[in-house]
Amino acid sequence: MITQTAPSTPRASTPPSPVRQRRRRKPSLYRTLSRVLIMLIVIVQVYPLAWLFLTSLRTEHDFATGDPFALPSSWTWENYARAFETGDLGRNILNSFIVTMGANILIVLFGMMAAYAIQVLGFRLSRFVRGLFLVGIIVPVQIALVPLFIDYSAVNLLDTYQSMIIPLAGFALPMSIYLFSSFFEYIPRETYEAASLDGAGPYRIFGLITLPLSLNTVVTVVLVNSIFIWNDFIFANTFVLSEDLKTIPLGLQNYIGAMGKVDWTATFAAVCVTITPLLLVFLVLNKAMIQGLESGATKG
Amino acid sequence: MLPNRSRTSVLVFLLPPLLLYCAAVLFPILQSLFLSFFSWNGISEMEFVGLANYVRMLTADDIFWRSFFNALLYLAICLVLQLGGALVVASLLTSLRRGRELIKTLYLLPAVISTVAIAFLFVRIYSIDPVGLLNQLLHWIGLGSFERAWLSDVNTVLAAVSAPEGWRFTGLYMLIIYAALIAVPKELEEAAVLDGASKWTLFTKIRFPYIRPVWITTTIMATTYGLRGFDIPYLMTNGGPGQSSELLTTYMYKTAFTSTDFGYASTISVFIVIECLVAVGLILFMLKRKADS
Repeated sequence: MITQTAPSTPRASTPPSPVRQRRRRKPSLYRTLSRVLIMLIVIVQVYPLAWLFLTSLRTEHDFATGDPFALPSSWTWENYARAFETGDLGRNILNSFIVTMGANILIVLFGMMAAYAIQVLGFRLSRFVRGLFLVGIIVPVQIALVPLFIDYSAVNLLDTYQSMIIPLAGFALPMSIYLFSSFFEYIPRETYEAASLDGAGPYRIFGLITLPLSLNTVVTVVLVNSIFIWNDFIFANTFVLSEDLKTIPLGLQNYIGAMGKVDWTATFAAVCVTITPLLLVFLVLNKAMIQGLESGATKG
Repeated sequence: MLPNRSRTSVLVFLLPPLLLYCAAVLFPILQSLFLSFFSWNGISEMEFVGLANYVRMLTADDIFWRSFFNALLYLAICLVLQLGGALVVASLLTSLRRGRELIKTLYLLPAVISTVAIAFLFVRIYSIDPVGLLNQLLHWIGLGSFERAWLSDVNTVLAAVSAPEGWRFTGLYMLIIYAALIAVPKELEEAAVLDGASKWTLFTKIRFPYIRPVWITTTIMATTYGLRGFDIPYLMTNGGPGQSSELLTTYMYKTAFTSTDFGYASTISVFIVIECLVAVGLILFMLKRKADS
């Protein structure tokens, strides 16, 4: 709708001119409008998060009575102290870290191996196996909850790190295989043939050629998956019961007290603490992450 | 194919990932299919009931249909916010000269936040006592009559739980669409501008057709993610009040883990998978056909 109405105004007054000339002109109405619009949308995306942080520095009284848009009338770190008292945030962060690492190792290693077998080694049913993996991209994770719950209780895996890592890795594997195979297509066949002539077998070729060349794709796969795994709620909520194993999303739920009474300012402080690690990684590596996300889907 | 490969080497590389995939994805799908023909509460003997679960789901369960239509509306809201928002912002972004990287980063920020944190955040945004951001904003711009407790009002709760999901991932789709838009050859656009094409024609006749393949991918991604949406409605309202924000996924989850009706829950999850497959088929059919014509 917006793109429809905005552009027509400046065009009516200026005759069509080459793009290069237009660039030197004063900002046109279209340009100004689109800037304002972009600013508005960015505010909608970012302001709630800024508000979250500001609220974590408010006093409880201020939060309950004040204007939500106003700056805190007095700043306090109290909420952070209460946040650390109420929950075991350190433990939660450590657990999330373990699960994220474990799942990422599986996703990268297995994704690369499967892609290598399918794309580089090749075998008779490779197309079928590839298709089998790719179906997994569109299968919703909910289908696995009941079966895995039953299977886990049969083999005593409920309430373990593995119970979260296995499905998280399994459901991310198809995308990883897809990304690695599309990358392997770009490695020239001659590289492999030359190595083969020198007597290198499939294992050495994997370790000495394929693995080092795919480091960029590894970064992409790890970054993209980490966002989803670090924040996973559904598997953790279904398979984990004990406090010791709770990841960040489950830990945060502890802040809802009995009778649904919530200490909001402390909760927001806890939220700020738990989003910090991933946020830092994201802000430091955002170029790589953004590139990864872009390339991931446009190759399809 | 590598000349020196052996059958063993193929198996060494293929078996571990295949086993993990079977254990976590393929086998559970078959198991769900199997369980959907049984009545079982996890403790007593499993009882084979044939198609009874399916008959019950399709003909006798009002909550199922309610959740199904809720899920469609939830999907529609997510798609408009995610794909519509993404397309608008990506298009606007291409006209900017500076600050693109910064805006991309800021726009993507909500995608990094966990759903639990987002649920907490939006509970406060929608709240009426103490007054939350949304109600305060409405008050300021003179729409005070619209102030309400968004999450307890049966008319607004579904939209209220859908919006955060749309808000969360729109940045992701914007990135993908933006990457496709800047790949449109500049010569094509310049030629069209020389021919006097307006911005709108430029968009509909040159840019959009060029990014159509990427658009199909993003539509499929957004649709399948929308159909499996669970966390935010579950956390914010748990389907309530009544069933007004119940989705198929939350209904399935409660049937399985609150009512421990594993058989019937499996039937619903089989339905969710079929729904996803049908949706992907429909998208491919509609968008591909348009591209051919």
